[in-house]
Amino acid sequence: MIDLLASTVLVPFACAALALAMPARLARWCAALGSAVVLGIGAYALADFARHPGAEFRFVTSTTWSESFGASWTFGVDGIGAAMLALSGLIALVATIQAWRETERPRAYHALVLALLGAIDGVFVALDLLVFFVCWELMLAPMLALIGLWGGEQRRYAAMKFFVFTLAGSALMLVLIVALWATTPAGGRDAPIAAELLAAQSSDGGLTLHGLDVVRDASGAAAVHVPRGFDVRHLALQWRAFTSIDFLGIPLAAFGFLAVLIACLVKLPAVPLHTWLPHAHVQAPTAISVLLAGVLLKLGVFGLYRIAWPLFPEQAIAWGPALGVLGVVGILWGGWVALGQGDLKRLVAYTSVSHMGICLLGLASLTTAGAVGGIVQAVAHGLSSSLAFLLVGVVYERAHHRRVDGFGGIAAVMPRFAKLFLFASLAGAGLPALAGFVGEFLVWMGAFTGEAPFPVLAACAIPSVVVMAACLLSATRRVLYGPLRHPEHAAFADCDRRELAATLPLVVFIVLLGLWPAPLVDAVRPACEALVHHVRSAIP
Amino acid sequence: MSVEVLSVVVLLIPLAAAALTARIRHSDLAHAIGAVAMAACTVLAVVVAIDVVGRGVAVQGPHLRWLELGAFELGGFELGAGTFVDPLGAVMAVIVTALATLVLVFDAWYLRGDPLAARFPWQLCGFAFAMLAVVLADNLLMAFVGWELVGLGSYLLIGFWFHKPAASDDAEYQRNKGAGARGVIEASLSPSFAQQKAFVMNRVGDAGFLLGIGIVLVAALANGQRDPLSWSSLATLAAGGTSEALLTLAALGVFCGAIAKSAQFPLHPWLPDAMQGPTTASSIIHAATMVAAGVFLVARCEALFTTTALDVVGWIGGITCLLAAAIACVQWDLKAVLAYSTISQLGLMFVGLGAGPEAGGRAAGIAHLFTHAGFKCLLFLCAGAVIHACAGHQDLARLGGLRKRMPITAIASLLAVLAISGAPLTSGAFSKDGVLAAALAHATASGGLAYGPLVLAVIGSLLTAIYMFRWWLRLFAGDARVPDCSAHAHDPARSASVVLLVMAPFTLGLPWTFGGWLETALSGTRVPGAALAEAHHTATWIATALFVTGTLVAFVLFAPRSGLGALLARRLRAVHAACSELFWIDRIQDRVVARGLGRGLARIIARLDLGDGARITSLDGLIDGLGRGLTRIGGAGSLVHAGRLGVYVAVAAIAVTAVLFAVLAP
Repeated sequence: MIDLLASTVLVPFACAALALAMPARLARWCAALGSAVVLGIGAYALADFARHPGAEFRFVTSTTWSESFGASWTFGVDGIGAAMLALSGLIALVATIQAWRETERPRAYHALVLALLGAIDGVFVALDLLVFFVCWELMLAPMLALIGLWGGEQRRYAAMKFFVFTLAGSALMLVLIVALWATTPAGGRDAPIAAELLAAQSSDGGLTLHGLDVVRDASGAAAVHVPRGFDVRHLALQWRAFTSIDFLGIPLAAFGFLAVLIACLVKLPAVPLHTWLPHAHVQAPTAISVLLAGVLLKLGVFGLYRIAWPLFPEQAIAWGPALGVLGVVGILWGGWVALGQGDLKRLVAYTSVSHMGICLLGLASLTTAGAVGGIVQAVAHGLSSSLAFLLVGVVYERAHHRRVDGFGGIAAVMPRFAKLFLFASLAGAGLPALAGFVGEFLVWMGAFTGEAPFPVLAACAIPSVVVMAACLLSATRRVLYGPLRHPEHAAFADCDRRELAATLPLVVFIVLLGLWPAPLVDAVRPACEALVHHVRSAIP
Repeated sequence: MSVEVLSVVVLLIPLAAAALTARIRHSDLAHAIGAVAMAACTVLAVVVAIDVVGRGVAVQGPHLRWLELGAFELGGFELGAGTFVDPLGAVMAVIVTALATLVLVFDAWYLRGDPLAARFPWQLCGFAFAMLAVVLADNLLMAFVGWELVGLGSYLLIGFWFHKPAASDDAEYQRNKGAGARGVIEASLSPSFAQQKAFVMNRVGDAGFLLGIGIVLVAALANGQRDPLSWSSLATLAAGGTSEALLTLAALGVFCGAIAKSAQFPLHPWLPDAMQGPTTASSIIHAATMVAAGVFLVARCEALFTTTALDVVGWIGGITCLLAAAIACVQWDLKAVLAYSTISQLGLMFVGLGAGPEAGGRAAGIAHLFTHAGFKCLLFLCAGAVIHACAGHQDLARLGGLRKRMPITAIASLLAVLAISGAPLTSGAFSKDGVLAAALAHATASGGLAYGPLVLAVIGSLLTAIYMFRWWLRLFAGDARVPDCSAHAHDPARSASVVLLVMAPFTLGLPWTFGGWLETALSGTRVPGAALAEAHHTATWIATALFVTGTLVAFVLFAPRSGLGALLARRLRAVHAACSELFWIDRIQDRVVARGLGRGLARIIARLDLGDGARITSLDGLIDGLGRGLTRIGGAGSLVHAGRLGVYVAVAAIAVTAVLFAVLAP
């Protein structure tokens, strides 16, 4: 049988090899094929979760990698992973269409994009922490090359900055992996489990026991015997043990949480670890910006959902308020900095900081609505920021600059572009009936229903809706409206078929998700609910 | 078809019409399709209204579960969308659809020849859909969604002529502008500026609205409501043990949204700017319906409004009523007068609502909303007719004597002026009486400060008669002041004139008071108490006195060839200047909020964030500098050179960790 999830990694890599071997003009077809396959598998998995909601991991396959090290190629997705997978396929496809006419070393370019996609998907489908980490680091290389070779004037600086930030951020994660292995007895460990988890074993109770043996300890309490290894489902069962193991003077759980947290906050990115983002975006070519904003940032969110929260629930609770504050700081700071930007790409980059802060706030609130909202917001942001970057690319290709003040009145020249640009601004500003609103609204409501201080944090974060509207609509006005400021812009052609083909799918999904988010929400809700439940069970 | 299904059809017809007309490039055809669709929608809305008002019931239509968020026991909840029709919503739906129909017919003439005209029908139909979504929503979330979408409709229609330059650079604007337009910031006045201002200012209110929704959600969940944002859940909050303080906070949050949408002080400056849109769009969106959505919402959420919250509503309404009326007295742009008049009248509605349901305030405020929609829409259409006839001139100092050239417009607008001034037997008198009566009854019952909104509203109403007659007299009475402006003026084409004639009867009291249907619809079977009846009696006298006084003053001051108005302006120079300068509210907001808190602070923060990379005065520079510094401390230049990446990684790891600790350490 074909392994469905492994192919989301293998097919892009295979297509990458194919692209290198093919004539240059066929490379793009390989890229389209690779991303379409990922999109198809992601959509299939997501549809499965939407039709039969459940918190368990599905399409799970496992192949031993290293018996002695306990590492295995274990793949599986829950609703969250499926959503991310589908998003990554869609965004990669859109980015490929955008770069359809790439003339500079097209084979290498498309191969690198495919390698990037494969590595990212590896993170989304991996259930083994080691594989997760390998893919997490693996994606840096193609990204470094894509920005460093195809980027703008300061591409080396930007690429290096991106590389150093993200690599440094995840450096501790490797230490964590070693520490986890070193501190686990060779024969594995008995982890106490709650009674309801035992009861839920047969149903879809979320982090179920995954076929582990149930044992009774001396007092008769139930426990499971967990073998030494890196399966995140197994690791999550041992969270109590991590809190009591001493590592470098602090509990292993505290160290582990911090290690994963830093890696994720850099990717997210959270203020103040975000300064690599504007550089990377400004220097990256349009399609790479799309991938960066549309998919790469989601890894930060995903890592928190998949690793940090399940493995270290006690820390997630303790750090929750601080992270909520960090989220709110990001929401407001990002919005305000965006308001002060004169470069369109940088402006969109900073709105990303704000939007991703919303995800952080939602997850930190430890409510189902907040956690679901965080994922919906991540998907919505993937769609809307990609659209925004595509549109910035459209004017950049014509005017060869991105200064907001260097345009004016091009709505009269490019009516189709004007409609799309306004749409992207409204989507970014979270207009109801568009995707962004659903995510934002759920996060606000999740935070309101959360424990103190989250209602206050929600109240502090909500004014950002004003800032975002001001920043995006002011950019819209300055670029699109008023009289045509530069006569030479009168010759601009409206969006062509390639540009429409890249942008319209995003428009459609933003509207669909805004009007009828139920399928996505139904797909991710059980997993989020189980996660919140799992973390809350650590409340003493 | 049952009312339940009909309500959904009424809601969806405008959406379908918008989708259909969006594809049509031919202006007349698009207008015709839009008008026919909206007319059909009106008929159905009337059917619904007759049934609902006749039976005096509230009907819950189909309800769609939109989102389900987890098991209820674990703090989950569900959100839905559906229709809900009660007499209030039913009448409002009729008004929205009927006015949309009439405005479309009028606009087909008004925008004929404009290359962008074909955009109008779909934008207006889309707006009507959003407005009906607010009116027919069965829960707070759906109302909010509609609320934001009407904002989008308003945004699109204000920016209808998006290509226009700022007023300061616009030769046509400079040529035609009113003589005394002093408070306006011309450098940031254009359709594109105005649409942005409207949207962003409304967002300020929406932030409060969202806060209110959040509080309602929390309170309703604590109350055990499965569908926490539904109207029925709201109604049980007060009884369900939610603390008064929390309820007040929720109410004020919702009212914050209303302040912005209904252009109340201090969030009113967007509305006069919104006059940059086509006058026909202003007539329905920025006069009759959308801006009244705030009033509608407060009435809809009355269960939340504690006495404290109602006091705030009354005071804000009173202050706005007087403030805007005072400004309207000295405006020279004929649309600006109407814009400030709208703000003032909306304030009056809030004074009514603020009086509280016991004093009949809710019914009175809403009744004034309905009658105002009729006569204000008519006033705007008449204004549109005048602007169209006088080649874009809007200056009250130059126009004049139009009654001879435009008799239909003159008569229609006179009726509307009489109504808004509260002349006996007009619709305005009927509803304004109600508002003043409610405010009086409330003031008598509560005493003390409760007289405040009443006094403000009374003075505001007096000024209303003055500025509206000034407006009419300057436009239609006497002789043409600058003959060039009105040389070719004539009444609108027949189709548009018919619209004015159809609307004119609704400025009279009879359609509204006939059989007492409106009062039944609004207050149900509640029998007014003796105190209220007495207050009504007194209020009628007050209102009549205000009308008579105001009209006389207006005639004395502004009758053709009367120099008294100018003399009075010179005598009261300080007051006149304050009003002309719009009490400096626009300028202060521009300086402090838009330029200060907005752009200024944003630029500073942006510099703190990214800087220019070289210096460590920014966050980015600091992190870079930290990396460089640590590299240097690490010494061994060869090491840096050879293994640059590794050192970089290590250094950055330490730096990042240090920064994170510094930020996050409790």
